[in-house]
Amino acid sequence: MTLTREAPLVTTPVVRRKPRTRDGWVTAIMVAPATVLYIVMLIVPVGLALYLSLTDWDGFSANPAFVGAANYVNLLDDPELRRAALVTLLVAAAGTAGLNLLGLGFALLVNGVSRANTFFRIVLFYPHVLSALVVGFLWSAILGTTGAVNNLVTTWGGEVLPFLSDPTWATITMIAVLVWAGFGVNVVLYLAGLQAVPHSLIEAARIDGATRLQVFRNVTLPALGPSVTVNIVLSLVTLLKTYDLVVSLTAGGPAGQTQTVAYLILWNSFHDARLGFGSAQSVLLMLVTAALAFVVTRLRRRGELAVHQ
Amino acid sequence: MRKPFLWATVAFMLIPLYVLTVNAFKDQQDILANPFGLGGLTLEPLGRALTNPQFNVVKGYAVTLLFVVSVNLLSVVLAAPAAYVIARSPKRRFRVLMLFFLAGTFIPGQVLVIPVVYVLKTLGLMGTIRGFVLFETVLTLPFSIFLYAGYIATVPAVLDQAAAVDGAGRLRTFWQIVFPLMRPAVATMVILNTFSVWNDFVNPQIILGPGSGLYTVTTGVYAAVSQYSTDYTVVFPTLLLAIAPLLVFFVFMQRHIISGLTAGATKG
Amino acid sequence: MRSPRPIHALTAIGGLLLLAGCGGGGFAGGSQAQQSEGGQVTVRMLVNITPNLTQAYWDGLVKPFEQANPGIDVKIEAPTGKGVADTLPQQLAAGNAPDVVETLTADETLSKQMLDLTDQPWAKDTPLVKEASLNGRVYTVGVGVQAQSLVFYNKATFDKAGIDRPPTTLDEFDTVMGKLKAAGTLPLQTGGEFLTGLQLLQLSSPSRAQAHPTWQQDIKAGKLKAGESLLPFLERYLTWIDKGYVDKNALGMKYADAETAFLSGKSAMYVMGSWFTAAEAKAKKDFEVGVFPAPVDKGLRYPGPQGATMAAPYMILKSTPQKDAAVKLVRWLVTDPAAVKSQLKQDGNFRSGVEREFTPLEKQVQEILDTAPSGVPQGEGYGDATLPKSFNAAWNTEVQGLYVGKSPKEVAEGVDRWLAGRK
Repeated sequence: MTLTREAPLVTTPVVRRKPRTRDGWVTAIMVAPATVLYIVMLIVPVGLALYLSLTDWDGFSANPAFVGAANYVNLLDDPELRRAALVTLLVAAAGTAGLNLLGLGFALLVNGVSRANTFFRIVLFYPHVLSALVVGFLWSAILGTTGAVNNLVTTWGGEVLPFLSDPTWATITMIAVLVWAGFGVNVVLYLAGLQAVPHSLIEAARIDGATRLQVFRNVTLPALGPSVTVNIVLSLVTLLKTYDLVVSLTAGGPAGQTQTVAYLILWNSFHDARLGFGSAQSVLLMLVTAALAFVVTRLRRRGELAVHQ
Repeated sequence: MRKPFLWATVAFMLIPLYVLTVNAFKDQQDILANPFGLGGLTLEPLGRALTNPQFNVVKGYAVTLLFVVSVNLLSVVLAAPAAYVIARSPKRRFRVLMLFFLAGTFIPGQVLVIPVVYVLKTLGLMGTIRGFVLFETVLTLPFSIFLYAGYIATVPAVLDQAAAVDGAGRLRTFWQIVFPLMRPAVATMVILNTFSVWNDFVNPQIILGPGSGLYTVTTGVYAAVSQYSTDYTVVFPTLLLAIAPLLVFFVFMQRHIISGLTAGATKG
Repeated sequence: MRSPRPIHALTAIGGLLLLAGCGGGGFAGGSQAQQSEGGQVTVRMLVNITPNLTQAYWDGLVKPFEQANPGIDVKIEAPTGKGVADTLPQQLAAGNAPDVVETLTADETLSKQMLDLTDQPWAKDTPLVKEASLNGRVYTVGVGVQAQSLVFYNKATFDKAGIDRPPTTLDEFDTVMGKLKAAGTLPLQTGGEFLTGLQLLQLSSPSRAQAHPTWQQDIKAGKLKAGESLLPFLERYLTWIDKGYVDKNALGMKYADAETAFLSGKSAMYVMGSWFTAAEAKAKKDFEVGVFPAPVDKGLRYPGPQGATMAAPYMILKSTPQKDAAVKLVRWLVTDPAAVKSQLKQDGNFRSGVEREFTPLEKQVQEILDTAPSGVPQGEGYGDATLPKSFNAAWNTEVQGLYVGKSPKEVAEGVDRWLAGRK
């Protein structure tokens, strides 16, 4: 990633020219279709979004007016966005912690080949198979004020538990459901990582008299380094985009306290007919996501290097 | 200590699935009065959901299957050779290309909703199956290329060189020698992409549009259930129908998920 | 093991070509209306789909029209986003807008896309047409009226609490709720999602319309502050939460949950629009539901003006290539007696002068509508009395703040701050 200069790209030796051009042609055939499609359907739209974010487009009119950075200036003092940004960062931070602690923990518990472990893995992973809309609907049917759990609680004479009606509870509920639905993926990713930990190392450590905890801290965890990075970045990037679950679980409530940035983007763009403003929010979300992913990767890399020294 | 804890976790994990399944076989009164209970099970709601005139479930399955197969095929054909070049080339420009693809994962879907419509319109692909399949495929590319490249890196380059000595071109070397070895990674991606295509809610709606009359299982279910629905004897069985085939597919295919990730995701 | 591999790759590529081929042949024109096929024109109509208004219902509704006009084929399209309001912009952006759209009413943004119906003679007698017009131009025509400011109540709970007559002032309303609470019933059914704010708008409309007859216009002109003018209602609402007249955990319920709770006897009163009568008619229950117009502030006329919205509003897109057929269809939808009656019945709506088979509850609602001094726009409003888009949603979010510790003053200021930001 660092831009230290190696050999400049142009100085390829001129000697083996003939086979190279043919090779280059074949290489182009292999890379070009994916790259071109990717550019046309993903990068160009992002460019368009960037353009829209500089206009006052309402989603209807034919000629949106160019307004420069006005939308971005408005972002700065938009109280809704500030709240949503806070919620999103909280969800991303707490969610990433939850996903990875549970993911790694359960990966260690169900590592190893056995029928029972296969079953456990299936059960831990299956929520990922359901769409977030189904997950949200089911959990709101379970945790809502008149939901299944409160139904039991009140028949036993208890007070209704405000899972979705109190802002603090609702935020925690949302994070918990996100973790519930997603940590199976982290289990699987960590399991994959665990398979790559050299067995001989662990055995050697054991023979040297290391305890289980010591083996985990000094052998397994360092060897899992790249896995941890992938997991954290993946969780972070996914959680920063949280949208579907907000719609189906809390609808942004109570009192707008669980609206995420992604939720706000769609709201502004369509309900509010402020597509330009919504686009500016999208661009901001994208930049923040990329920046956070980059920072985490860099920090992790430094951490890994420190471990290896 | 480990086993009881795991079984307790299993019980907790399965609560929503249990609620969904049980209530798909109950009438409204039972669902409201006793959502966890097992009393008074009936097949009638499920039968009605299957024959719902608003949404032909069987056609929904067929349409979804068509999309799933097309996207998977196209994704493999596009991503695998690109990943091969990226993994095998020491050149910086291909490492940059990898990062370029990875950047795609940072793009929130919300950014794309409207601009993609414009791009597809310009290409004359708006409202077409081709347009939808192409876009959905592009969404799978970043992670697929990432995983494939990571996997190919674990395949010894000696194999390629041996093939090259035998006079095989790069394309043939890839499809003949390397691609068959990538099976675990391909299987993983096919499974994961199947989930995302099946569950995609926003893109089929917007790209295919209401004019096409084409519904995937997921979009069809929500069209039939509607956001204001109070009739749980419609909601629960329809949702069950929407996820059941995918769950069965997952249970049978799950062992392939880990095998492909093992090499691919840890070495990226 | 080695030789068959290229075939795999080939099949894959073959499949790809096949896919591209079949897409091109079969579906390219799928979303564009097939315009002229032997003189046949297709009119595409984007409609709202709800538990009452199913796709099957809409298809059946327009069938007689198609039979009477063999040259016109009506294609019902269900929304794909969260609703019509989300779908229409997407379709406009995609360049495949429908010809007719149901559910939305024209505001300044939308009207630019819509056909001006001012000169259509049949449009003049449709319900609320004047109220919904914009600068004197008609873009939206509707089938009927939805009464908004209604309080439905469970007669059994009223009997049990010894209440012999529905309240007419808001103070009486408070007293009644106290009695119901004492008798062990939850007095007022509220809920989360959009319900919280909607109910308070519905309840306040009759009083507000008497104090500020041109509320929306005054707010737009900067003569009045929305939140400030509704502050007394916010203050009253907070006392209801504090006294337990509404469930303090109501925000954890969806609209559907709230409706179900009231219909299964868990609460005594439910503020809701007239469309609730359709749900009531379908529900199995062991008690009778009554209805009264929303009570008003002391000293005001009772019953006050009803919050009224247009039921099944239709607009025609300016861009339609089937202008004549579309106009014919919309005219039929809002004037044909059978079509009107069917739509009114299906969604529990009303139109003065149109008699249909009423449930006892519907009969009472029709009476309330007939005796109301006027129908007034509510909240976001319509026509010239339109507040910025999404006002209702912003209001809802703020009102929910009362449940989570905000003071009425903070809520009012929040509403006004939101409006100030949309200028």
